[in-house]
Amino acid sequence: MSTITIAIPSKGRLMEAAAELLAKAGFSIERLGADRGYRGVLKGIENVEVAFLSASEIAQNLRDGKIDLGVTGEDLLREKISADDKACDVLVRLGFGPADVVVAVPECWLDVATMTDLDEIAESFYERHGRRLRVATKYHNLTRRFFAEKGVTGYRIVESLGATEGAPAAGIAEIIVDITTTGSTLAANSLKILDDGVILKSSAVLAGRTAVLDDPRVIRLRAALSTMA
Amino acid sequence: MPGKSRTEREALERQNAAIMAVFERAGFDQIAPDIIQPADIFLERSGEDIRARTFVFTDPSGAEMCLRPDLTVPACRYHLSHAANPQAEKRYCYLGPAFRFPDELLSPQEFTQAGIEWFGAKEAIAAEARVLKLTISALEAAGLTRFRVTFGDLGLFAGLLADTDMPERWRRRLQHHFWRPHAFRELLESFCAARASRRTSISALVDRINDGNALALVEAELDTRKLPFVGGRDVTEIAARLEEKAADRRETPLDRAKADTINAYLAITGDASSIDAELKTINGGTRYAAARDYFSKRLFEMEELGLNPRRFHFAAGFGRDLEYYTGFTFQIEADTPLGSIAVAGGGRYDNLLSDMGSARPVSAVGCAIHTDRLKAVLA
Repeated sequence: MSTITIAIPSKGRLMEAAAELLAKAGFSIERLGADRGYRGVLKGIENVEVAFLSASEIAQNLRDGKIDLGVTGEDLLREKISADDKACDVLVRLGFGPADVVVAVPECWLDVATMTDLDEIAESFYERHGRRLRVATKYHNLTRRFFAEKGVTGYRIVESLGATEGAPAAGIAEIIVDITTTGSTLAANSLKILDDGVILKSSAVLAGRTAVLDDPRVIRLRAALSTMA
Repeated sequence: MPGKSRTEREALERQNAAIMAVFERAGFDQIAPDIIQPADIFLERSGEDIRARTFVFTDPSGAEMCLRPDLTVPACRYHLSHAANPQAEKRYCYLGPAFRFPDELLSPQEFTQAGIEWFGAKEAIAAEARVLKLTISALEAAGLTRFRVTFGDLGLFAGLLADTDMPERWRRRLQHHFWRPHAFRELLESFCAARASRRTSISALVDRINDGNALALVEAELDTRKLPFVGGRDVTEIAARLEEKAADRRETPLDRAKADTINAYLAITGDASSIDAELKTINGGTRYAAARDYFSKRLFEMEELGLNPRRFHFAAGFGRDLEYYTGFTFQIEADTPLGSIAVAGGGRYDNLLSDMGSARPVSAVGCAIHTDRLKAVLA
């Protein structure tokens, strides 16, 4: 039987929660290598290798077919792999790490409540200021897809790799698309979520390549995690 | 499969030489616009499909550049930088690579486009018919025999909209959403229902707006809620828009029958032979009538050039995915055992050069042929 690989986040809360859930389901992780490094095996099931990767690399590696299964945030997964991509699928929603990917604008924009409002001000903003509204985000694809769906076009994406919520105050962008759990960081930065601005209700998921879905080990893992989650 | 063998390359070059010969014989100058282009105009005017599929990158100075996703915009930019008087008539043709991220149909990410652009044509109607005729001649010169022509006319829609009684800002918003059928329908519907149809988190504030108090209201609100001023828009901008929102509510709703007429027009589709009669059933006004007149004259011009437009297909909503077109639009699909495959398209785009910075309006008609797809169809 060939080896299949499951990727787990290499650090942080996602890693701890994933390891704990797997252990509860009867599969503990044994790290391998001299420095107990970035590879391991899953005990209690045959030939399942564990790769420790950063949460965003996991989606990328799934898409490229370098790993078979992965535990990662749905936000990161959907950013790399669109829901209509048939090569990968969400197998189990694991229930931890809940967070929403949202569109937020400055609270002082008292005339803006919806994506339609955003589309309407985009045009006049351009006429008045000679440049496009800027959206700071690390979720380029989610943003593009969602804005297109809502018919909003007059905007530009600005790359943001951290502290996205500070972009409007810093004058780097007017709008942000970011992840939020309680909304308190947004409020602290005087930003509000649009009425119809929730792009994705995300949590940690077990995702897998559709090619391995019939593998007995995948069926077993999926069933065991489904009952735990 | 990556790359082309010598035989494949030579076959494509032969086909494209036949296409370009048609264009050059008709008096179009072959130019070579730049492959690397500033990204903004593509991202703003091309429609979502191209927007999401353009290779964008940042140059060392921080400017956003792209690999051209088509050659129309580069040809316009060439024209604006080379022509002493951009309004004077000029005819160009081109052949070169264009680049798009593959879509779900697995289209190639680099492909060769051939096309023509005709700026400042003296006779608008004749130029449109002639561009269509040349496109068909070029495809035939390449060996295509079985194909289908679909065309639309955004001028009819603009005429109908101009004749429909509503505030100018509503008209502008409908025009803006023409490219997104779903949003368009919703918007039209909201104008019929008017008045506070859907409450949002700012409706309560809009309720409090009356004659000229918007600015004071906004300032008071920002002050009491201690909201810092970020996001680049100023207070007057926000107040003006709130006033507009309040005005929308006071506005007489759009007559339901008028909205139905617009929807009925957009649903028209069929063989061009029956279209004259169908267009007549639409209850428009003088500007719609003028657009219909233009439409009939164009059909006549096509016949003069030896085309048989009665066999073409007309669709009123056609061209809704090509954001820069302003009038005549067309597409040519090859009949293949696998179904129809679009191999060429074109039309009129009179606003594009102004959008790109031309001080005066420049009329433009053009077409583009997807030569790799054509080659695959003919193979």
